[in-house]
Amino acid sequence: MNKNFIISGSGGQGILSIGSILANIFMLEDLFVTYCTCYGAEMRGGAVNCEINVSDKEINSLKNEKTDFLIALNQASLNKFTSKVKEGGTIIANSSLAKIEKIRNDVKYIFAPLSEEAAKLGNIKMTNSIALGILGKISGNINIEKIKEGYKKILQNKTELIEKNIEAFMLGFNYVQEGK
Amino acid sequence: MQTIFSTPKSIKENSTFTFCPGCDHGVAIKLVAQVIDELNLQEETIAVASSGCSVFLYDSLDVDCIESPHGRACAVATGIKRAHKAQGNNKFVFTYQGDGDFASIGLGESLHSALRGENITAICINNTNYGMTGGQLGPTTAMGQITTTSQSGRNKEYHGFPIKTAEHIALCEGSSFSARVALYDIKNIINAKKQIKKAFEYQQKGLGFSFVEILSSCPTNWKLSPKDSHKKIQEELSKIYPLGIFKDVENE
Amino acid sequence: MKEKALLKGNIAIATAALNCGCNCYFGYPITPQTEIGEFLSVEMQNRNLGFVCAESEIAAINMALGAASTGAKVMTSSSSCAVALMQESLSYAASDELPIVLINVMRAGPGQGYIYSSQGDYNQATIGGGNGDYKTIVLSPSSVQECYDMTQKAFYLAQKYRNPVILLVEGLLGQMAEPVILNENPYPEIDNSSWKLDGAKNRPSRKIHSLEPNQIKLCNHIQDLFKKYKTIEQNETDWEEYCCDDADILITAFGAYARNTKAVCDYFRKKGIKVGLFRPKTLYPFPSKRLATISKNVHFIIDIEMNCGQMEKDVALATLGSVPIWNITKPVGDILSPETLIKKIEDIIEQEEKKYANNI
Repeated sequence: MNKNFIISGSGGQGILSIGSILANIFMLEDLFVTYCTCYGAEMRGGAVNCEINVSDKEINSLKNEKTDFLIALNQASLNKFTSKVKEGGTIIANSSLAKIEKIRNDVKYIFAPLSEEAAKLGNIKMTNSIALGILGKISGNINIEKIKEGYKKILQNKTELIEKNIEAFMLGFNYVQEGK
Repeated sequence: MQTIFSTPKSIKENSTFTFCPGCDHGVAIKLVAQVIDELNLQEETIAVASSGCSVFLYDSLDVDCIESPHGRACAVATGIKRAHKAQGNNKFVFTYQGDGDFASIGLGESLHSALRGENITAICINNTNYGMTGGQLGPTTAMGQITTTSQSGRNKEYHGFPIKTAEHIALCEGSSFSARVALYDIKNIINAKKQIKKAFEYQQKGLGFSFVEILSSCPTNWKLSPKDSHKKIQEELSKIYPLGIFKDVENE
Repeated sequence: MKEKALLKGNIAIATAALNCGCNCYFGYPITPQTEIGEFLSVEMQNRNLGFVCAESEIAAINMALGAASTGAKVMTSSSSCAVALMQESLSYAASDELPIVLINVMRAGPGQGYIYSSQGDYNQATIGGGNGDYKTIVLSPSSVQECYDMTQKAFYLAQKYRNPVILLVEGLLGQMAEPVILNENPYPEIDNSSWKLDGAKNRPSRKIHSLEPNQIKLCNHIQDLFKKYKTIEQNETDWEEYCCDDADILITAFGAYARNTKAVCDYFRKKGIKVGLFRPKTLYPFPSKRLATISKNVHFIIDIEMNCGQMEKDVALATLGSVPIWNITKPVGDILSPETLIKKIEDIIEQEEKKYANNI
């Protein structure tokens, strides 16, 4: 097993938080994982992205030309990373902030109004967790049992916040199931 | 028989100064050694010597000593002081630098140590030129002063202006004490020792960066006799670089 | 089980430093290593340790020099163009025999370059940018776990040999997170009571200096340093071999960039082409002897670096012209993917085969 994920959006959308949570979940599963974040002036203009590689073997391919899954939380990041998705890969895009337009026909698209769904939950900051939930469902690589522990690694003892985020995660997780 | 003079305990036995005849470094080092003795600091002291004539401090002063890269004495002293503190020790740390070292190449390190209020003491020997390399224009060379790199005298068009170091240190919020002294006669030597002692005591009290600038002679490079060198300090240099205390946190 | 955490290379380095008793850090911000200072600013203040936001890298390394003279475990960190500023004091530390751990998280140069990851400071680290005859030990991690482990080793070697040690890390690795097992420091404490400056109490005063007007003494001092370097070469040379035993083609690479070459080896092995990787873990001392032995049976070497081929000369010196050396280099930017490397290597193999055919 070897899977690659790119999560992208703008500053404040919690890109690095869910990136880190996802990487931690993989670590808790005793898998090999690398987690690369953009840094320094790369982030100028507010663009944020990160890349996660997970494998059951030692990772000897640190930068991949193509990715299996892309989460794009805004239009700019969807534009930037669409071409990096492998043939047959999946794009999860936030249709609240990106046009529903399938410019490739060799990848699977999931457009969801993530920001709106998060607002419905009462906190637009949960957008990222809903996206992670969708990813959790469709990638089939995320062990639901480890979700809470993963969130704990990042949010430590902020129990209430963890609960809220898990609620958002589950909303995303079930979103696809409902066939929307 | 009553002893009326002896070499300070903190001067190494059988050490001979290698400074030029008439140079004030020897007097300055002796004063430092006397103060170390009087404050009983010999076993607690780490001295930081610098580049230039002042480095030979460690040949005569009988305390632990490290030589610093040119200009960086205050940074090295900062490291020593902080590292001992981190290991639960309070050691006495002072630098002994020339004016080129303290106020030219090392001005950044010197000023920032003073701004941080680093609890160290700096002694700066100001002889208005780069002595060890043969008397070139330095940061403290007076206007009109002839050096090997200002052969028609320092002028503002070519060389700009000199720095008044003690006054600058006094402006730093982290400094506790800043004084300028001279060594051209007994009265001034006694006063110099008093100010050095005060600076050392301020460190002991943990008051922050303490500083003494010593106007010193450089007969060889000034091309004057020792006597005329002291006369020059008394009549010319101490007018340009006034003697006195520019900051004293205990007397404000 | 030992604690495991997902850490960036930079944080792994800082954590390892704390775990093995680093009690002083002095630094100045520069991307891509700033997290080291940010992390330690909190942790060291909480523990009442020595931490200064220095006014410059020059001040930082000189604070480290002073702190090291007290027997403290000292670290500073910086990146490429700012490590250049520290070279004078590294030369002093080598001559003064003071243990300083310097982390260089490399960015791309020359000049100011940019914050992209690179391996451009191989020469700066191994040859040294400071004046005079001296050596610094240089460790090269290829994973975040090795960042952690080698930081502990760097402190040990620095104390053991009273010598500056550089941990040479690519920006990529400093910024990349991987699971790290937070091992306890496996190394013994080194007694420094015979030389450290802590006040001349019940002993003669000491002086630490590099200035030496007596030429015989100066000459002896430098020769003594080189005797020490010889011992370091004998005892501390370290490397990794991956599929080297029967290799026909040998890749030489170091640091994080060697990782992708393992995938390349695997690919060619599956196709029946015997490719191996030789990765120095100590860049000084360079594992020349072992490389010479392995290269006896290989057809050619391909040196792969993220610079313009700086380690290649050490590979050439080790093999003394006995095998052809090709190189694949790129001075800056994204790590060459296994796919790109495979294409380039296939090209080299083709050219070597042509050469071979022509010779027959």
